[in-house]
Amino acid sequence: MAPGSDRPGEALGLRTHPLTAVVQGALWAAAASVGLIGSLLSGDGWGDLSPWLSLVAALVGGSLLGMGAGYVGWLFTRYVIDGTELRISSGVVTKSSRRIPYERIQSVDIAEPFVARLLGLAELRIEMAGGKDSRTSLRFLSLEDTRELRRVLLSRAHGESPVEEAVEHRSVITVVGPDRVIIGTLLSLDFVLATAATVGLVVAALWFQQVVVVLGGIVGVATWVVQIIGKRIIQQWNFTLSRGDRGLRIERGLLSRTSQTIPYARVQGIAVKEPFVWRRFGWQRLEVDVAGYAAQGSDEGPASSSTLLPITDRALADAIIRELIPGARLDDLTRTAAPGRSWPFAPIGWRYRWIAADDIAFVAREGWLERSTSIVPHRKTQSVGVRQGPWQRRRGVATVEVHTPQGPVDADGRHLDERDARDALVAQLARARAARV
Amino acid sequence: MDDLFAPVSGQWQRVAPQLATVRRLLIAACAGIVLVVGIVLAILLPDVAWIGVTLAALAILGTGWGWAWAGRNQRSWGYAENDDDLLVTRGVMFRRLVAIPYGRMQFVDVQAGPLERAFGIATVTLHTASTETAADIPGLRADEATRLRNRLTELGEAHGAGV
Repeated sequence: MAPGSDRPGEALGLRTHPLTAVVQGALWAAAASVGLIGSLLSGDGWGDLSPWLSLVAALVGGSLLGMGAGYVGWLFTRYVIDGTELRISSGVVTKSSRRIPYERIQSVDIAEPFVARLLGLAELRIEMAGGKDSRTSLRFLSLEDTRELRRVLLSRAHGESPVEEAVEHRSVITVVGPDRVIIGTLLSLDFVLATAATVGLVVAALWFQQVVVVLGGIVGVATWVVQIIGKRIIQQWNFTLSRGDRGLRIERGLLSRTSQTIPYARVQGIAVKEPFVWRRFGWQRLEVDVAGYAAQGSDEGPASSSTLLPITDRALADAIIRELIPGARLDDLTRTAAPGRSWPFAPIGWRYRWIAADDIAFVAREGWLERSTSIVPHRKTQSVGVRQGPWQRRRGVATVEVHTPQGPVDADGRHLDERDARDALVAQLARARAARV
Repeated sequence: MDDLFAPVSGQWQRVAPQLATVRRLLIAACAGIVLVVGIVLAILLPDVAWIGVTLAALAILGTGWGWAWAGRNQRSWGYAENDDDLLVTRGVMFRRLVAIPYGRMQFVDVQAGPLERAFGIATVTLHTASTETAADIPGLRADEATRLRNRLTELGEAHGAGV
């Protein structure tokens, strides 16, 4: 903790960092100028102003307004930490006060949006169990304060009083270098598709000399390519996975950095994704279901992500799966495969579908372009279902589903033999019951 | 295979036939509006009378189909309270069975609209941490809905296993 800064401990009515107003101003200025970029390209200004002048006006006006609003907002925002809860009060006209009981805290993440990061500030995000409005943000604090606050909140959430220890016990499991993320992205299916579509459209446009007609399409797919690059490479720059007392921690990002903690007990399931080309090299992507994460929109800055490891080899992936779901295995399980008569539903894919279970977890595999394996521990099984449509009935097949909270894990055994589906349902209920006791 | 959607143990409890009545009333009301619009159109615009006539015919056909569907669908619903799980089944063409362990229930809702209240029925919805669960039981008699909600809440607390 930086010497001289306020200690965010048991004191009363702490303020966020005064530079919050500057960050707010920069964010507003950016928002105000985004709308103008388009008109700048087409050469139109704002009313009678020239394009460049209007851009400057938007930047200056936006930042002044934003700084003003940010300053007033900062003036009226205070947070209190006491023995039972965290209270945040804010608002100038409409006062609002939010109480966060420690025992309801699911996870505490730190986000550093780019502008805030330049100033050494960070945002604290507190996730609680429950609906859409379950995330609380405290913005912005100095990075040290955020880290300290997270430590205090996490230990309180686990029902301990925060011990005076400056260093956490952390060991880095792996750092995924930018080169691997870039190679992985270049070889991933959607990137190849998007690039092929862009090149194809450009060639078509030149061939038929109808650039203007195809321009809309080109811009569309090019945006897609840029989005993929932005999402994968920039957000997952220097992806660091480390192990602590309370769970795994992920730190990532090139411009905006995010640090999130995945407590061991909150993992609801793991999905192993293997895109077509990656399988040749034995690479895998690990995604995780954590209650509450997927319910958030991804529009507010670098959102909490469900990616556990963007690209890794088999051995490390297996080790991490075993760490999160002790005893889980993927090999030498008795597999129940989809029958050949289910081919009309997936002419190629039916060969790659199976489900299996041991005493620890339920495993479902599907997909031939991108192979996806879902692992759900029995003690996290929410509910089990079986469904059958008219075509499935005619073919004598049915779908068995193991339900998990919203997220990347989709543990469904589609179009299995109906007798197998029924057996899987009954067995899964018994296994889930045994695991809960 | 007939026993694919049989309860794991015990018997299905069926829902009240008033569910079909409520749905038939709603279908009839919608179809009635379309029918009136069709007739008015046919009278006002005799040149394109076929539009109005088609609308009216569709409304009558739709009512007939909806009438049969409401009855079959109401008879397909069933639930069973087992020792550890609640089972819910539904559907004639697209059939579904879902089993929810009591300990996984986060909360239980009881809902009843004005029309449902007039016929003394209600819908009980179970929520787990997963949105895929989607376990609602419509057409329960009001007293049965209250009993089921209380029983489920009680069992949920007794079996409670957290998220």
